[in-house]
Amino acid sequence: MATEIAASPPPPDTGTAAPSRDGAPLPPHLRVWRHYALVKVRKALVVVFVVANVTFFLGRAMPGDPIDVMAGRLTQGGMSLEEARIIAANSLAYDPGAPLWQQWWDFIVGLATFDMGMTINRPGFTVADSIAAYLPWTLFSIGVGTVIAVTLGLGLGMAMAYRRNRVLDHVLSVVASVLGAIPNYLIAMLLVVGGGMYLSWFDPIALRGTLSPGVEAGFNAEFLGDALYHAGLPIFTYVLAIIGTWMLIMKASTTEVLSEDYVTVARARGLRDRRIAVSYVGRNAILPLVAQIAISFGTLVGGAIFVEQVLVYKGVGGLLLDAVNYRDYPLLQGLLVVLTTCVVAANLVADLLYSRLDPRIRK
Amino acid sequence: MTDPRTEPSADPGPLLSVRGVDIAYRTGRRSRVTAVHGVSFDLHPGQSMALVGESGCGKTTLGLGLLRLLPRNGLVPAGEILFRRKDGSTADIRSLGAEELRRFRWSEAAMVFQGAMNAFNPVLRIEDHFLDTFRAHETGRPRRRAEIREESAHLLEMVRLDPARVLDAHPHELSGGMRQRALIALALALGPQLLILDEPTTALDLLTQRAIVERLSELREELRFSMVFITHDLGLAAELADRVGTMYAGRLIETGTTRDIFYRPRHPYTAALIDSVPPVSGGLVVPESLPGGPPGLASLPPGCSFAPRCRHARQVCGERRPELEVLHTRGDGLSHAAACLRSRELAAEGATRD
Ligand SMILES: Nc1ncnc2c1ncn2[C@@H]1O[C@H](COP(=O)(O)OP(=O)(O)OP(=O)(O)O)[C@@H](O)[C@H]1O
Ligand code: SF4
Ligand SMILES: [Mg+2]
Repeated sequence: MATEIAASPPPPDTGTAAPSRDGAPLPPHLRVWRHYALVKVRKALVVVFVVANVTFFLGRAMPGDPIDVMAGRLTQGGMSLEEARIIAANSLAYDPGAPLWQQWWDFIVGLATFDMGMTINRPGFTVADSIAAYLPWTLFSIGVGTVIAVTLGLGLGMAMAYRRNRVLDHVLSVVASVLGAIPNYLIAMLLVVGGGMYLSWFDPIALRGTLSPGVEAGFNAEFLGDALYHAGLPIFTYVLAIIGTWMLIMKASTTEVLSEDYVTVARARGLRDRRIAVSYVGRNAILPLVAQIAISFGTLVGGAIFVEQVLVYKGVGGLLLDAVNYRDYPLLQGLLVVLTTCVVAANLVADLLYSRLDPRIRK
Repeated sequence: MTDPRTEPSADPGPLLSVRGVDIAYRTGRRSRVTAVHGVSFDLHPGQSMALVGESGCGKTTLGLGLLRLLPRNGLVPAGEILFRRKDGSTADIRSLGAEELRRFRWSEAAMVFQGAMNAFNPVLRIEDHFLDTFRAHETGRPRRRAEIREESAHLLEMVRLDPARVLDAHPHELSGGMRQRALIALALALGPQLLILDEPTTALDLLTQRAIVERLSELREELRFSMVFITHDLGLAAELADRVGTMYAGRLIETGTTRDIFYRPRHPYTAALIDSVPPVSGGLVVPESLPGGPPGLASLPPGCSFAPRCRHARQVCGERRPELEVLHTRGDGLSHAAACLRSRELAAEGATRD
């Protein structure tokens, strides 16, 4: 009897991909269609499509079009309005006569063929070129900031959970809550004013931009060093902006895992503390937080627009503000679609990573 | 050379000797509750003792305390937990250093936990659990992985699991019964002299429960480890234990051989518990003869803790706290003791044996 029970199959695993509703095996084409990763990719594409449409209509819902904006500025120089409008219409790659549905259709077809068209205000430049010139700096600084903040936050949060209700925990909890409450552009301002101007730790003027004059992009130490030097302030801002949250969620997650039976059993088994901390507590505490990495990344992409303005860092922040101010619809749409895609892609990677790391989902 | 198994060796004394142990939980900066009060008992090599009692009486606390596995707010403010080590020396578990304690755990005393469906790390395979356990207690040259795997497979076979299927599985791929068997196999891995089992089968269906209990009692015959068996289920206690200890509100209120306890209970509480054994073993039902619940730890009555529920209570029961008192000692040194002011009187009346 004993062997009979032991050899019986485990209950069906419902966490894995592709179960049909009635439990019957699926035909192969449906199994692929419902595969875990593919389902996630499909959802991601839908999100990008929806955001693209929202961007399109919101952009055009703003008062004035590119020609109005440029003409408005020309009249400030003393030109008459009619004259200004004609000059503006001639110098901008924008046809105010094209019906809205036409513009929408062009935009959607463009997206489907990975062609985001020409900018309106920077004649001769494609949207893709403009984005390609600025986006890498933003992604670089945010990426490095996220990695540093997450790594430190995980370590500190775990230390807080192990020493909960002791001095270290109390101090770090206050620090984390305060950091979490300050908006990130304010952190940037405080850094510039406090560290740069008041304490003179660095020269905020020399730090501006993404590279020092004369430094060429290339895969060498000088370039990388200089890029990091200029990105230092944004990165530090991003680290401060999200590290508090990471400390607190890691503390909560670790505290929860510490009360799990398997941790007590591991102690009972006489495992070394280090082994328990890494493979039993750490791994299980981090697992549910993997998806949060993408959320942090998304938060920072949003915040970067302002942080980059404050720190005069030449990422997509300035480009986006220009696109809004001059009603450069294609650039605005292109930027937001690309940024959304980055965030959605980050979520997708986090999701897939999670499903790889957690054996209860993996198949 | 004589075979030590056939030669009746001189009694080397108890394997585990618990002397006046108190266990408390801190509940605030200054406050604590005492969950276990002055518990004393001896456990001889190869013996098995059941701890029974209602929920909250301190069974798990005592079990965890023996291995110093209490949660962060738990402490053992008084008493001795003397354990005869494999090397023949006797050590007080309370005073072991951290590293010594780590080495002691599992290699000399292992524990199967209450409702331990969650005893395995969900991200590791069963084999990794065996590997971690062996590696943590290795002295000298590390053994090869394949060697450890083979030994683990053998252990799993001992609890009637199919190693080919179980070793590479993650915990969630096993049923509750399989996990519990695997945990028992893991507990036996280092050949401990003592196995503490805290309601090892409570969450399982009856069939699985029976199979595991039967296998456990066979394994005990075979491997001769001592056992502390914590349970709600007096039926299981009768089956697996040589001795039974009844706990009430943190105290051991009666101890004796299984026969003595079941046929001649000398404490009204034990008697009531036995009356309440349901026909088919399952959870503990509150019997008609035992209304109400146990007192809160923070507000124990001054005299006998059981007095408010005891139908034999007299005025004296509310004034003096009864101590565990030996009623008789059998030829083999095992005694029957109860903590009831009226136990002799009631025995004479035949009141504790309805
Ligand atoms: N971490 C803790 N902090 C404070 N009090 C606790 C803690 N753990 C247990 N207790 C208290 O200690 C007492 C004994 O609990 P314990 O778990 O040992 O009982 P038990 O006999 O094992 O009960 P059960 O049969 O339900 O498992 C209970 O009153 C419980 O509330
Ligand atoms: S001491 Fe008194 S109250 Fe307590 S069990 Fe004995 S008879 Fe009952
Ligand atoms: Mg318990």
